[in-house]
Amino acid sequence: MRSPHRHGPGYSAPPGVLACRGTEALRQERFKEAIELFKQVIRQEPRPEWKEALADAWRGRARDLAAKGMFKEAAMVLENTIAAGGPVRDPSLYVTCLIRDGQQPKAAAYLLSHLGAPEAQHDDLEPVAAALLVVVPRLPDPTPGTTPEQARWRELAVAARAALAAWCDGAPAEEVKRCLNAISLRSAFRPFRLLLNSLITAPADADRTRQMMETIAPGSPFYPLRQAVMEAMRRETAMDADAWNRLTPGQQRFVAETSGLAAPASQFLGRLAAAERGGPGVLFNFLVKQSDLPQADVRNACLNLLPQVPDRMAQFEKSFGALSLVERCRVQALIAEARSDWETAGRYWQRTAAAIGADKATGEEGRLSQAVILRHLASLATKHGEFDAAEFHEDPTIHFLERACAADPDYLPSRLELIAQYRKASSPQGASFTASSSTGSSSKEWHRLVDETVRRFPEDASVLHQALDSALARKAYKQAEGFARRLLTINSINPGVRRQMIELQLSYARKQVRTKRPDLALKALTEASAWERSDTPSAPLRIVRGLVERRVGTAEQGEAKVREGVELAGGGVAGWFRARLEADLIKDGDTSWLHRELVRARELPPTPDAIMGIVSAVGQPEAAENRKAITSLLVGMRSWLLQAAAIDWKPAEFEAVADMLTRFEMYDLLRDYAEAARERDPANPAWRFHAIVAHAQGLPYRLTVREEDEVATLAKAAVDRQDFHMLSRINRFMEGDADLNRRARHHGHRGPAVELDDLDDDEIMALFSAVLTNMPSEAAANLRRRVNELGREPALTELVDQMKASPFGPGMPEPLLRELCAAMVAKAMQGGRSQSGGPKSRGSRQRSFF
Amino acid sequence: MRDPFTVLGVADDADDAEIRRRYLALVREFPPDRAPERFQELRAAYDALSDKRKRLATKLLHTNSAALSRLSMDALRAGSTDGPPARATRQTVAVLLAEGITLALPELSPPHSGDGSKRGR
Repeated sequence: MRSPHRHGPGYSAPPGVLACRGTEALRQERFKEAIELFKQVIRQEPRPEWKEALADAWRGRARDLAAKGMFKEAAMVLENTIAAGGPVRDPSLYVTCLIRDGQQPKAAAYLLSHLGAPEAQHDDLEPVAAALLVVVPRLPDPTPGTTPEQARWRELAVAARAALAAWCDGAPAEEVKRCLNAISLRSAFRPFRLLLNSLITAPADADRTRQMMETIAPGSPFYPLRQAVMEAMRRETAMDADAWNRLTPGQQRFVAETSGLAAPASQFLGRLAAAERGGPGVLFNFLVKQSDLPQADVRNACLNLLPQVPDRMAQFEKSFGALSLVERCRVQALIAEARSDWETAGRYWQRTAAAIGADKATGEEGRLSQAVILRHLASLATKHGEFDAAEFHEDPTIHFLERACAADPDYLPSRLELIAQYRKASSPQGASFTASSSTGSSSKEWHRLVDETVRRFPEDASVLHQALDSALARKAYKQAEGFARRLLTINSINPGVRRQMIELQLSYARKQVRTKRPDLALKALTEASAWERSDTPSAPLRIVRGLVERRVGTAEQGEAKVREGVELAGGGVAGWFRARLEADLIKDGDTSWLHRELVRARELPPTPDAIMGIVSAVGQPEAAENRKAITSLLVGMRSWLLQAAAIDWKPAEFEAVADMLTRFEMYDLLRDYAEAARERDPANPAWRFHAIVAHAQGLPYRLTVREEDEVATLAKAAVDRQDFHMLSRINRFMEGDADLNRRARHHGHRGPAVELDDLDDDEIMALFSAVLTNMPSEAAANLRRRVNELGREPALTELVDQMKASPFGPGMPEPLLRELCAAMVAKAMQGGRSQSGGPKSRGSRQRSFF
Repeated sequence: MRDPFTVLGVADDADDAEIRRRYLALVREFPPDRAPERFQELRAAYDALSDKRKRLATKLLHTNSAALSRLSMDALRAGSTDGPPARATRQTVAVLLAEGITLALPELSPPHSGDGSKRGR
């Protein structure tokens, strides 16, 4: 920084120029320079505005110094304004600097002589002033010209100091109170009055006292005293090392003094807190030496530390005697868990549980402890799965949960978890553990456990839901109805249960219509309507009722009902699609009018709501089982559905639509949707994934090597951006769900694409021979027809193209592929003699050659 | 998570009622609007100890339950007197008030906003 003198001849410059330079220096926060310049100006011409500017410069300089911790110097700079005959420019800064410099008496004297002065605002300093006037050893002497406000402050300070002195000297409560009563509750001394009052009256009304003290906020200078008083008042619950540790040394001293705590006890708490901070080893060493405390408690504390300091096991046993079997196994299990050695941990936990079980003296607590450990083992088996499966005759999770439920039958969460495990094991997808864990036996266990649980917890909604599901799975409809009614008594709205029961009756009604018993169907529908709430009418219920009524002769009434249902289902294409679907499900012969309505509705372009209505309709359980009906309906609407590819779909909606298209194998539409979406939003990788799925026709083994790489890249990117929905979709696709596997079998595929590179020439010839021998008769007929229609060479080219898209394609060189296709054409043209040459394949139903 | 017994300041053989009483007392002292972090800790500790099974799980399956609360109480019980509440010294109160005054003072920062770009130009 340049010296002000280098700017020019300071003394000779006119005051105006100097003042300009000073103002500029002030603006740029060059306070030292500004001070010098304004001092020179004032010497020449002491104008009030220049004096003001000099005071501003002093304040700026003081703040600079204070920020550097030079409080004494900062205070001195601010005192320049007093010397110049004015008030301190920044009283708050001045008092702060004095206090931080340790000049409390000076700060108190300043405050007492300036509080309430008209020239400066000191409101923000009042709480500090109150505390300061209590804490200084001696009140400052009164100054001449004291204002009434300053006199009042002095009176309050005197009263507060007298009350404190009385309390500290052990004066009776009445005397302390008399002094406190002189303190106005509207003054800044109010917190002090409350605190001292609490100390003399606390036991009488602890809650009210606590509430009063809570009005003292953390920013108050009385806050540390408030914390100490609150701890000291907590006489009904003893202080612990943790709470002790949170106190400052001053607060600890206050609590020790007011609680009458002997010095060794407070020292012990301090040392205990320090040992705890030193880590488990230091704490163990500290505790093991505590001979004055009850040894059972010391042993317990050391035992709990052992898993963290396994090397102290011998020291522990030397000090407290041998560990019991339960203790030893538990400690070993915890040590193994700390090392993430789950197999060893599992072994030791099992031994712990067995040892607890063997000790009959432990009673109920032992039983509950055993159950706690068994539940923990179940959780370890689920999370880490490192238990030796051969050790158990069933899934380890189920094994441990069964034992936990036996040990503690009243613990509902375990039972619900075991029910969920049985359900999982009884479903075809879930039964993947061992041969002995068949779906049948798991299913029986599921129903048995649900029955037992519902007997034990008859009013619990989660149990009743399980019971309802179990009854439905067993086709025990009367029982299911009973559980549903009980659920409605717990929650009369319960839309899920109502929907479930309506669907159950609808399913029954559809079946009755299909078996030509519309009378029984109408009865079931009437029963179904009893489960409806007036504010949430069911669309399928009205549609089915309408269709049945049309069939039994009340056409007009029936049609009106159907239209009502169509409107409830969203109207337009969504509604009529639903009606058409229901007609298919009940095998209604007269669907032409529905078809006409659906065609008319399709004249309007598709909307997201209409498409989502269709998605919802095909998602209902019974509809999903009628793939054929839905597929034919969707295929009939192909061009209309194709228009919806142009809609700007929200990602979640798109996923729902993509799921539907995948489920019903409309891969060409899925591809169009994905490509349109990709054009609109090229940055979203989900579209590319769906395009790949469409190309592979939903079967992962149809992926080309490049596509597999792309899917792997998409999965990695999904992990990186934590898009777990996308990752889950990719995993589902790559692992192939049961439905896909079923379709794969249906199409005659037995596994992943053949890697021809792995085969030698003889094996390739054997493969060719097998393909030719087992060529399905319909495929041969198709091939002959194409040869007749197109000619031999174009038909051969077409076959080669189709083969390229098959699992053979990517791995097989084109000449070899062409050779195979030529052999197939030749074989087909021989008159289909291969018809009797091999077993009939279900793949022959495909539209392509294979 | 810290040892829930220590957080609530109860012995490891405390019953449901005692744990609840202690939890409610601490929540009154550290309500969620004023001490959200401390309240979360208290809530988690109470969740871990609120019934017998949970307490057993905490005691059996966790390594951080050092049972120090029990020892602290033993020490305090041994060290406290049965007489009426005693009084602190004037010096102790002065120390606490001085701590409070220091905490209540405003933080001091230089007058400029902090980039220092205006200085020395």
